[in-house]
Amino acid sequence: MERTATLRTLHPLAWWGWAIAIGIAVNTTTNPLLLLLIAAAMLLVVLARRSNAPWARSIRAYLVLAAVVIGVRMLFQIVIGAHSGTTVLFVLPEIPLPDWAAGIRLGGAVTAEALVRSGYDALRLAVLLFAVGAANALASPRQALRSVPAALYEVSVAVVVALNVAPQLIESGQRVHRARRLRGESAMSPRGGLELGLAVVADAIDRSLSLAAGMESRGFARTSRRTGEGGWLLIGSAVVATFGGFLLLSTSDRLLAFFVLAVGLVGTLAGLRRAGARLGVTRFRPPAWGWRETLTVSAAVLSAAIVLTAGVLDNAAVFPSTDPLVWPQLPLSLLAAVALVLAPLPLTIAATTVPDARDDRRVRELRPVAEVVR
Amino acid sequence: MITLDQVGFRYPDAVRPTLDQVSFHIAEGDLCLVIGGTGSGKSTLLGAINALVPHFTGGRLTGRVLVDGRNTAHFRPRDLAEVVGYVGQDPLRGFVTDTVTDEIAYGMEQLGLAPSAMRKRIEETLDLLGIAELRERALIELSGGQQQRVAIASVLAARPQVLVLDEPTSALDPTAAADVLAAITTIVHEVGLTVVLAEHRLERVMHAADTVAWLPGDGRVVCGPPAEVLGESNLTPPLVGLAHALGWTQVPLSVREARRRVLAEGILPTPPAPTPEPSGAPVLIAAGITVRYGELTAVSNVDLTLRAGEITTLLGRNGSGKSSLLWALQGALSHAGTVDVAGQDPAGLPAAQARRLVSLVPQTAADLLYLSSVGAECDRSDRDSDAAAGTTASLLARLGVQVEADRDPRDLSEGQRLALVLAIQLSAEPSVLLLDEPTRGLDYQAKAELARMVSELAEAGLAVLVSTHDVEFAATIGHHTVLMAEGELIAEGPTGELLASSVAYAPQLAKVFAPAVVLTVADVIAGLS
Amino acid sequence: MNTTPRLSATLRSRISLVVAAVAGLLAFCWPLLLTPGAGVSARLAPQVFAGVLVMVLAVVLTELSAAQLDAKTLAMLGVLAAVGTILRPLGAGTAGFELVFFVIIVAGRAYGAGFGFILGALTLFTSALITSGAGPWLPYQMLAAGFVGLFAGLLPRARGAAELVLLAGYGMVSAFAYGWLMDFSFWPFALGDGTQLSFDAALGPWQNLQRFFWYNLATSMGWNLGRAITNAVLIALLGTPLLRLLRRSGRRAELVQPAIAAPTAE
Repeated sequence: MERTATLRTLHPLAWWGWAIAIGIAVNTTTNPLLLLLIAAAMLLVVLARRSNAPWARSIRAYLVLAAVVIGVRMLFQIVIGAHSGTTVLFVLPEIPLPDWAAGIRLGGAVTAEALVRSGYDALRLAVLLFAVGAANALASPRQALRSVPAALYEVSVAVVVALNVAPQLIESGQRVHRARRLRGESAMSPRGGLELGLAVVADAIDRSLSLAAGMESRGFARTSRRTGEGGWLLIGSAVVATFGGFLLLSTSDRLLAFFVLAVGLVGTLAGLRRAGARLGVTRFRPPAWGWRETLTVSAAVLSAAIVLTAGVLDNAAVFPSTDPLVWPQLPLSLLAAVALVLAPLPLTIAATTVPDARDDRRVRELRPVAEVVR
Repeated sequence: MITLDQVGFRYPDAVRPTLDQVSFHIAEGDLCLVIGGTGSGKSTLLGAINALVPHFTGGRLTGRVLVDGRNTAHFRPRDLAEVVGYVGQDPLRGFVTDTVTDEIAYGMEQLGLAPSAMRKRIEETLDLLGIAELRERALIELSGGQQQRVAIASVLAARPQVLVLDEPTSALDPTAAADVLAAITTIVHEVGLTVVLAEHRLERVMHAADTVAWLPGDGRVVCGPPAEVLGESNLTPPLVGLAHALGWTQVPLSVREARRRVLAEGILPTPPAPTPEPSGAPVLIAAGITVRYGELTAVSNVDLTLRAGEITTLLGRNGSGKSSLLWALQGALSHAGTVDVAGQDPAGLPAAQARRLVSLVPQTAADLLYLSSVGAECDRSDRDSDAAAGTTASLLARLGVQVEADRDPRDLSEGQRLALVLAIQLSAEPSVLLLDEPTRGLDYQAKAELARMVSELAEAGLAVLVSTHDVEFAATIGHHTVLMAEGELIAEGPTGELLASSVAYAPQLAKVFAPAVVLTVADVIAGLS
Repeated sequence: MNTTPRLSATLRSRISLVVAAVAGLLAFCWPLLLTPGAGVSARLAPQVFAGVLVMVLAVVLTELSAAQLDAKTLAMLGVLAAVGTILRPLGAGTAGFELVFFVIIVAGRAYGAGFGFILGALTLFTSALITSGAGPWLPYQMLAAGFVGLFAGLLPRARGAAELVLLAGYGMVSAFAYGWLMDFSFWPFALGDGTQLSFDAALGPWQNLQRFFWYNLATSMGWNLGRAITNAVLIALLGTPLLRLLRRSGRRAELVQPAIAAPTAE
């Protein structure tokens, strides 16, 4: 079980909301001190609150990915960067490419200003990736599937089926692979690989029929009514949202664009709700959304708001100058934004304190056998 | 509860109807055992009860099928979910979710039950099937028997009045099968559900059946009291064979019944002469075979000799290391110890040469087939074994199986598939043949055919080792028997003596005639004449 | 072809697909449309559009599944998405040796455009769940893979060798289209500004396309070409047997209208 006695799991969407809000904060700053502190805070939360499920280990991969992103960015900056600034660090031999190659010139003088500037930006991207990784590590994908809107129920069932069948198919592939040796054939040859693949697909297709028979006889979709409610609302909202995206690109009226986008979002949510009514399916143990979830997301949103406001009030603190080069500063108000990232830590501690009955010597025979043995 | 009235059914492209003018009635609370060979239409009959036939399969249904007063023509299978629960052959293939509780909840979610009611029903169903401790386990980690019980629980949670089970034990080993059948008997006796069960391990369930529906394979269904219908049928579990041999019209449904009647009538067949000491030349000599999986030692220091022309049967409960021993003998599994076949050890040879010494037919024989037609499989096998073209096909014919070359191996019956795999493995002309649990999923006829094939191969000089749970099959073919427990050989000896003296592995007839060592119907006939 | 599982397309599900195509085009080609001084920065745009695409995908998948997604189609979608999910990590790391698209293309061809779209989107989604690869790029990948499957289902009629050539050609084209669209939409985001190949809204579409061309040639040509060759080779080698498998099971799974004789007089 993912739940222990003293810790509570949060709704997977709460973790995603937390990570997205942090992502917004990260997007609106290039201050390396702030970025690194936010990343450290996220790492702390991940290490303290991840389960022992396989997806929780993915955070390592994201750390590596973040490092690679920074490395590649710096490499591009050094080789084909446009170098402004006066502090020349070193000079690479210059190779101009012919005209038809867009007039690109490789190498040349590498300046500290340009490197720092692109380093800040790369760091921001890396921390953004890390926020995504944190959400992936903390939110249980299976729980997330339980909380999709009812309108997408069938599609979510297909994903559940895929998640369950995948390990079974791997096992059947391994069995066929072993069996090939008994026939004296090697599965390592390209032909062997292809035949193995086909055998697995054939097995998968056979499975789908027995699965369908099982689903059908257990009442699949029998509550569905083809009312088609909410359909036009959904399509209309998608059109509005798309138009909002277009406005965002083509006009400088940011407010209008975000307003249109918001209308699209509200319309989509309402449409999904109405479309979901065509299924009378209930859910067993759906993940619950409570005050802890609300507070977690609110804390992260507040953190983003602090960074945004700080950017308006004190631009130099949030976007430290790179030309001329100055040492970045970190005002106290931004430290509050970092502290808010840590909000899930206290929020995931179970509130009720139950006395430990192990210390109670009065009625020993009530203790569970497992406890006594230990 | 269930009434079939002049029911006929024909699949879309079939020549003749699968069901023809079938009429019978199953009373509420009965356990109806549906019997018949492979392809006789058992699944079709069961599907008709929960409307999968014809709504899911297509085809033309005539007549009326009434379940609890509902005509299946007007109800889709999903509309019958809380009237009929349907469980298929391989439980893992029917699971939609990944954990036990979720799977049991799935059906109730479809019916739109309130979540608070679900929790209670889940607990009740878990207790009913004795799987409460599996509650949060992942389905893929469970044993076959546990999985099948979860599958039964997941349809029972919808509280149906009828439970339809299509060969629920065919993909299971006997221990797991016994678990599942015990659970089914509980459901019949404790809950009072009407159960329709297709099953080919008749000896385990026939004593519990109220009625038997026999499908001879020509579209008819013969339905009636078990003792009569079984006597009429062409299926031959040992007690039915005994009844045929002794000319009884009422088939005894249990060993106890048979023994009483035999004692009352004073029937005492003379036991066959004890099998002579093994005389064939040793072909495979294994010494000190040990197989280890991490901390677990699956096979521990096993010495074994297989002789030409002799069939050795390997018995032991699940997990006693039988399969690991077979794979190690073939050289396809890392092990300690030596195997000597004509001076060579298959473990040290490339796969293509190892199978010329020792050939193994694994438990899931179908894994060896991956091409799209029987003809292509035979051609490939000839090439793999460097045999003359047509060798495999003629081997298949010699095994007595006629299959068109353009058939897809996936569409063959279990017995035909096994014969094809056997032919492929024999095309390499091995001197030792290893069979792992070959009777799984076979009906009585296919089992008898397999026994004939294996005996003929042994007569032709092959050394054969058969690992099996099926004591009746072991009694029929075995010359020599080896018992395994916890990775070690614990007993060895002539099949007759060893089986008759065992409590756990005695065939039914040995129990009927004890202390006389009579194992098979053939022994009875020989002993009485 | 009268093989099920095939989704019967309602008018509304078709319209929703058109909307998705327009939204997708906007999301993938935004660097061409971004005007200097617009309400969104080049770095933020792909993230905002990821949100828009999530909405659009929810709408399309709702509409497609409301258009009669029966148990057989759903089970087939599930197992094929599982096959794709297993194949995807097999190719990871080796330049462009991506095996997923082949399954999506052949299944889209066998079972139709609607099926192809859902399969493409679901395969990438499932794979992201298993490999913890969910992020702002996921809606882009889902939509692009969905359209790979969709257009595979809309290819003209052909049989035998002609069909294989058609599919293999489509496999190559779609591999490049997928790669370019994905790279293009994330190019300004991934490279940042301040290099000679960076996106710069002030330069106008033509010069930006030139810059992207060289950037893509340098960084992703191997992947795109590898993906295209993988698709074509796999379709050439496995297309025929796989199509036969899918169509055969399509026939077996076909929901023949059951013929039930009128009840005899009581």
